[in-house]
Parts: sequence; C-alpha cells; structure tokens
Amino acid sequence: MKKKLSEMDYAEQGTVTGIEKDLQKRVAGMGIRVGKKLRMVTRQPIKGPVDVVVEGAETSLGLDMAGKIVVEVTK
Amino acid sequence: MKILLMGHPNVGKSVFFNRLTGANVTESNYPGTTVDYTKGWMKIEGEDVEIVDVPGTFSLDPKDKAEEVAVAMLHESRDAKVIAVIDASKIERGLYLAMEIIEEGYPIVIALNMRDVAEDKNIVIDADRLERILGIPVVSTVAIAGEGIKELVSRLKEAKPVNVDDIIANAANTSDTESAADAGGAA
Amino acid sequence: MKLSTGERWDLIDKISKETVTFGAYKHTLKDAIGELTVKPMTGIPVAIAIMYGFWSVFGSFAGFFTDGFFVRLFDAYWLPWLQEVFPGQGGWIYAIMVDAGGIESGEFVLSSNCLESFGVLTSGLFVAIGVVLPAIIIFYLMLALLEDIGYMPRLAVLLDTVLHRVGLHGYAIVPTILSLGCNVPGVTATRILETKKQRFIMMTLLAIFIPCGAQIGIMQDVVPDLMGWILLYLIIGYFVFGYILNKIVPGKAPEFLIDVPPYRRPLLSNIGKKVGGRVKGFFVVAIPFVLLGCAIVGVLYQLGVIRFLGDALAPVFVGWFGVPKETAGPLIAAFLRKDLAVAQLSAITMTPYQMITAVVLVSIYFPCVATFAMMLKEGWKELLGALAVLSVVVFTYGGLIHLIGILLGVA
Repeated sequence: MKKKLSEMDYAEQGTVTGIEKDLQKRVAGMGIRVGKKLRMVTRQPIKGPVDVVVEGAETSLGLDMAGKIVVEVTK
Repeated sequence: MKILLMGHPNVGKSVFFNRLTGANVTESNYPGTTVDYTKGWMKIEGEDVEIVDVPGTFSLDPKDKAEEVAVAMLHESRDAKVIAVIDASKIERGLYLAMEIIEEGYPIVIALNMRDVAEDKNIVIDADRLERILGIPVVSTVAIAGEGIKELVSRLKEAKPVNVDDIIANAANTSDTESAADAGGAA
Repeated sequence: MKLSTGERWDLIDKISKETVTFGAYKHTLKDAIGELTVKPMTGIPVAIAIMYGFWSVFGSFAGFFTDGFFVRLFDAYWLPWLQEVFPGQGGWIYAIMVDAGGIESGEFVLSSNCLESFGVLTSGLFVAIGVVLPAIIIFYLMLALLEDIGYMPRLAVLLDTVLHRVGLHGYAIVPTILSLGCNVPGVTATRILETKKQRFIMMTLLAIFIPCGAQIGIMQDVVPDLMGWILLYLIIGYFVFGYILNKIVPGKAPEFLIDVPPYRRPLLSNIGKKVGGRVKGFFVVAIPFVLLGCAIVGVLYQLGVIRFLGDALAPVFVGWFGVPKETAGPLIAAFLRKDLAVAQLSAITMTPYQMITAVVLVSIYFPCVATFAMMLKEGWKELLGALAVLSVVVFTYGGLIHLIGILLGVA
C-alpha cells in the first residue's frame, strides 16, 4: 500500500517509491532515496517533524517535506 | 602543502584536526559544530603542512552559510589535497561528496571514520576493494580513539586526481570478475 | 569530467553493492534510549527533567562557590584591604578603581560590599571572578556533556514545532543554548540556519532576549527569588517578537532536516579540553570588557554624565517603565556592562515587580560590545536591522511589562 511519509503510522516500514523533484537532492544527502528501505520512528504533535531510520541512520524532517515522499508500506 | 579536511557534518573532521595538529578545536556530537574553518600546522616527513578543518557540507551545492564557507574554501585552494572524511555507517552519502570532489580534479584520500559505529550496526565495508575501484587510498579509522590516523598520514602522498571514467570502468570490471569467479566456483 | 546527480548516485549504488554488506539490523539499547528520548510521550518529560536538572545544578553550584566562598573572600578581606592601602581616598581615581562610596550623602562613607563599591578592582574583579567564573564553568561543563552525548539534535527535534512558528526550526536551539553561555559563539552558530531571514530573526532574538552566562550568574546571585519571573518574561518575549518578526521579515523559512546521530559515550578528555577552552575564550573576551566597562562607567559617573542623562530620561523610566528614578543611572550604565548594572540595581530599594522590570530591561538592552562586534562581522545591514528591532522592543515590551504589572496590581 502506498502512503505519504507524513501519513505513515508509528513503526511502519516500507520502501521509498517517489520523491518530489525539488526535494530529491536535499534528502538524498540524508540517505533518503528512491528504492531505500525506511522505518518511521515517531512524529511530533501539532504538525511537528517526522523521524525516520534509513539503513540504521536516523533523520528528522519537517512534515511538509515528508508529505512529498511516497512510501510503499510493507508492514 | 595544504590539506583540507572535508565531509558531512558530524563525521569527526574536528577530531582528525585535533589529532593531526595537536590543536583544541571544539568537538561535539551534533551536526554543525564547526561553522567557520580553522587552520593548523603539522609536519609530515619533515615538510610543514597546513591542515584546514572545513565546516561540514552535504554537497558542493551549499544550502546554508556554513556550507558556503566550506565550498568557497575548496574552490580557493586549487592546489590542495583533500582528506574526505566519511561516516562508515553512512557510506553512500559520504561517497557522494567524495565523488563531487574527485570530479573537480582534487587529489584525495578517504578516511572511513567511525568504523566502530558501522560495526555496531552490522555494516561491513571492504575497504581494499573500495580502494581498487576508486584508485585512491581508503583508510579505516576510529579517529576519536586515534585508530588509523598514522596510516592515513603515511598514505597522504598517494593522493592523486583520478578520472571518473576509470572509476566507472573499475566498478563495472570488479562486478565482471566477481561474477566470473562465482561462475567458476559453481562449475 | 562531471556527472549528473542521477549518474553519480547510480555509480555510488554500484560501488556500494560491490563493497558494502548491510547485515541484519539489530536493535541495541542505545537505539532504544535514542527513540525514547525523541518520541513525544516519553521525550518531552525527559527534556523537561533534563532542563530542570541543568538549572538546579547550575544554581546550586554557582551559589555554592559565589556565596560560600567568593563573597566572603571579597567582602571580608579584599575590599577592606584595598580600601585601606589604596591611596587617595575620596579622590576620583580611588572612586573609579576601588570605591565610589557614599559620595552622594555629602560625607564620604566607604561601601560595605563589593556590589556597591563599584570600583574596577573591587566590583569589577568580584563580578568577573567571583560571580561569572563559577557560573560559566558549570554551564559549559553541563553543555559539553549534553553535546558530546548527542542530546542536542533530539532536543532540536522536540522543539521544532514551536520554533517553526517563529520562522526558525528546531536547530535554532543550538545558537540559543550556546548564547546562554556567551552570545558571541551564539551569533556565529546562526550560520547553520539556511536563509538570511532565519539568520536575521535568530541573531536579533539572541541579542535581545538571551541573557549570557555572566548576566545569569549575577542575576542568580543578587535576585535569586525573582529569576523565574525574569526568565519567563524573556522567554515570552523571545516567542512573541519571534512570531512578529516571522510575519514582517521577508524571505523563506525552510523546514527542518537534520541527522540525529546515535548516542555516544562522552570522552572525559574531550570534555575537559572543551570546557577549558571555552572558559578561557570567554575570559579573554570578558575580563577586559568587564574591567574596562567598569572603568568607563566610573568615569562617566565622576563626570556627572550618567546623572545628567538619568535626570533627563527619568520621566521615561518612571512614567513609561514604572521603575524608580534611581534606576536611571544603572539602566544607562547597562549600555556598557549589563552584569554590573544588575549588581547596581540590586542596591536600590524598590518593589519586587519594579526589580523584575528593571532587570528585564537591562537584559533586553543593547547587546554587549563583543556581541555587537560579532554581529557587525556577519553583516552591517543585519546589525542595523537588529538595532532597529531592539529599540522598538525595549520601548514596547518595557511598557507592556509595566502595563501587565498595573493590571495585576503589583506595579
């Protein structure tokens, strides 16, 4: 099932299938690229940032950015 | 001679700098501790070498002022060698910056730092093979414990500019020989 | 030859496939603690506990050394000895260097403690060594621990939501906390913010609302009971004016995107070196400024300049800010030395609320000279902008605090 990263639930995992073009370069520097496996760790309340782990490395990104990343959720 | 320490934020560049020069630059466990460059000196085989601790940058396409300082520093130092410090547990993104620097023609050596953190995460890197593919020295280090620093210094003289085409060819070749070897094993 | 971004990543994927094996990822205790301190349900209580612990240790350590040791040393031995041996009692050099005493009462009376004597060698040295040194050492020691363990990025994640509302993002916590030690490195650290707008907002808020270690140390020493109110007004000001600045300053306020590094065991040697280096750095900057500032203030008092300005501006201070006429002198002297001004204020009789107002005014005043120079280095346009905002803030916020006092019936 495809979901935006901003809509993923706690502890859900999946594979990144799409990133909006204007964001690709910036998040690639954090290890978030199409084809990478990712686990959502937590989200801060009131439109706070989303915390994810990609290949063992933790990154926190703003909710708007997370809304531009599409993930094929596996579990 | 001038050597630039470059890499992503929070990979331990300042730790290298302090180890190499005996200086006391602030080190912390968060990205962006160094926002301005710091210069220091060390002696390598009798020669005075200037070492520059460059602020962390994700790419050569700066996104904030600290990164602008880093990229400007690189471009001002056309004759410098670069030590690309890579967090071994995040090797791919580190290689991205290293490739950008290689493509600009700088002689470079790679320090695969935080080997201990990578091991914690069950990430194993074949440094020799990486060295063969890239055609430049690749040294595993744990800078905070002083491991690998001597080897890194002794191999600085091997730093040289490499052609990107050679890297592409090497990457393709190793996979060929690999699959050939696998095939041989199977037969 | 240069590759495109896509080609470069393709090549790296190929190289990575050949040289890197990602083993099964095992969840370690460190990861578990890491996640607990970043999940809001557990992370926010932990953050509050850490901040509270930070503050308590700071207060008791600084209090222990200042009150328990330096106050006695300076007031019982140093001050009486200097008053005795320094030549020319009652003269202007004596007043500037040792003790201005009770000159105003017609007859010359010596001061009884180092906060009232106001000499370079008495108040100046006492503030620098007796008050600021313990405060700075304990502050930097605890900061170094938080930094080296790797807590700062997690605090940034937790605070991103609120800081995003004032045009910044979570990472602004780094310059903010650094400024609590000294605003100079705080200003430099604004470079980790992405846009000019963010750097301007950050720099302005730092200069106005973040008191440095020297100021916090002296406030903790002379008005410990009022600290909560003073800090509350400063924090409210930080967010209210941050919110307004975010609305009126043109430019972009990009979102938060940071690496959260794993926790690491701090190395004692690194902490020692770092604290030593920062304390030394602070003192090289601060000591000359404290002593020189003290001397200039002394000279201006002797020349009657401060009294003249005080008389001229008294209606503003009394009518608009609601503080007693006597505070005009210290409030003007605060342009040069905020810490000494706070010490001077503590010697004036006034209501607690007037004291809160006066100390908050001193804090949000003109930044110290070193910070001023640092801001100039980051750009004179930004500096002028920040000063304009500062004047407006001092006037409106000072009046507002007075108004709140009137409404509460305490002013």
